[in-house]
Amino acid sequence: MFQAKRGIPSRGYLHKAFWTVGLLVIVAMMVPLVVVLIISFNPGNELVFPPKGISLRWYQNIFKHPVFISSFQFTMALGVASTLVSLVIGLSGALVLTRRKFKGAEVISSLLMSPLVVPQVVIGMSFLSLFSMMHVYQSLPSLFALHIVLTLPYTLRVFIANLSRCPVSCEEVAMVLGAGKYRAFAETTLPMIKPGIAAASIFSFVTSFDNITASQFLIWDRTTLPIEIYAYITKENDPTVAAVSGILILLTTGLVLAMERWVGLETVTG
Amino acid sequence: MAQKRTTAVSMGLLVPGMLCVLVFGGSLASIALLSLRPGRLTDSGIGLNQYIRFFSDPHYLLYVWRSFKVSLYGTLLTLCFGYPVAYLMARAGLHTRVLLTVLLVVQFFTSYIVRAYALMLVLGNNGLINRALLKVGLIHSPLPLIYNEAGVAIGLVMVSLPFMVFPIYSVLNGIARRLEEAAESLGAGEWQVFWNVTFPLSLPGVAAGVIIVFLFQLTSFIVPGLLGGGYYDMVANFIYDQALGVMNVPFASAVSMVMLAITLVLVVGLNKLFQRGLKDVSS
Repeated sequence: MFQAKRGIPSRGYLHKAFWTVGLLVIVAMMVPLVVVLIISFNPGNELVFPPKGISLRWYQNIFKHPVFISSFQFTMALGVASTLVSLVIGLSGALVLTRRKFKGAEVISSLLMSPLVVPQVVIGMSFLSLFSMMHVYQSLPSLFALHIVLTLPYTLRVFIANLSRCPVSCEEVAMVLGAGKYRAFAETTLPMIKPGIAAASIFSFVTSFDNITASQFLIWDRTTLPIEIYAYITKENDPTVAAVSGILILLTTGLVLAMERWVGLETVTG
Repeated sequence: MAQKRTTAVSMGLLVPGMLCVLVFGGSLASIALLSLRPGRLTDSGIGLNQYIRFFSDPHYLLYVWRSFKVSLYGTLLTLCFGYPVAYLMARAGLHTRVLLTVLLVVQFFTSYIVRAYALMLVLGNNGLINRALLKVGLIHSPLPLIYNEAGVAIGLVMVSLPFMVFPIYSVLNGIARRLEEAAESLGAGEWQVFWNVTFPLSLPGVAAGVIIVFLFQLTSFIVPGLLGGGYYDMVANFIYDQALGVMNVPFASAVSMVMLAITLVLVVGLNKLFQRGLKDVSS
């Protein structure tokens, strides 16, 4: 009570300036997304704002472009599959890196994190050349490998942070009480890192789902939804993309609200 | 002793991860090799022709210059706009903080492509801003806000704001309010408290944000592609065009190697620079 009052008298111009600029920036960030949602319900053909009525025409129009549906399914499947693999690799890597002290641990961990600092376009270019050298020309194997490599730093980072907060002693106690090492892990450590698993999955899935820059080098017979959207904007550009974007914005908002409720957003904001 | 018991974790668990590193390293090695092809992809031999070609033509260097220019002031603007947002979040009451965090995380997780497209709808000739300004009568013809440098800069700043806000927020959040209150009770004014206490303490977050945002902007592809519309291509767009448009893979590989070298030098250099700077502040 005392502290809360203590802070208030000093709130002068600087404080007000920060609040004003901060709020304006947040409004400026939100306006475009709101505009997309409004335009997606616009009955007209042109991208105008404010709209002249409400219709679901552009949402229906999505179904006239089967490529949006099939690429959405492909992107979802790719995202889920690479996230599952990335979770397993990330968790096992993090277990070694947090629980065993050995020479070169730091080098290995920065090698595993290195895809984060290499430009996406360079990663795409290099996967294209590696897989063409191996004469693999379908998109699936190379895209799958790419998305595992791209998402691994995120799962690894979340698990390292989680495991270093969670004491090995619980597992040791379980083993002293007669549990095998797998059971000890499954019944002590695994429940403790559940929020970490959720956070790692979300980061990994979003990273995979959203990737255009590197993935576009590897598309062959199948493409991903963001790449389709990119192509559609540069070629046709009618509000069908606004409708697709509208769906993605609503799905993202749902995901974030669920995350806020069950996992907490601290894993994102730090 | 404790060490001995924890060896229940086998080193073998690292194998899948190392396999990924191997693939990743192998792929980088493969473009390093391709970049040394003197002519087309099918030619044999080794040479530095591709690099010489890139560095001797001002047309090609223009892409590097552009990328540096726009991401230098873009990062500065992102910092100027992002810092107040982080401050706001760190100092807001519980409910406001949750609301602001949700809004920012929604931004963070929404596809780049959706956010870039949304900006096109706001900034275009028929967009919200131009329509509003025309209606009010402030302008008589639409302002050119996309398909040029301004559009790319605005896009880069808007898209990368969350990368700046989160690290600064995280550090601001951890600063004990008592330090600020102590400075106040010793008679420091609002500005003095900010410049001498809050801001210096938040510098680790600023440094992290600046490095992430600068690298993100320097290497971005989608924003210059959409909001530049081909009129303001950056290095990443150039590499893509060379590889898949003109099909000159060795040249694209060489430019990729140059870009990789630039990024690595920047990551190491900026980290060193900020670490030294932070030491100076704390001493």
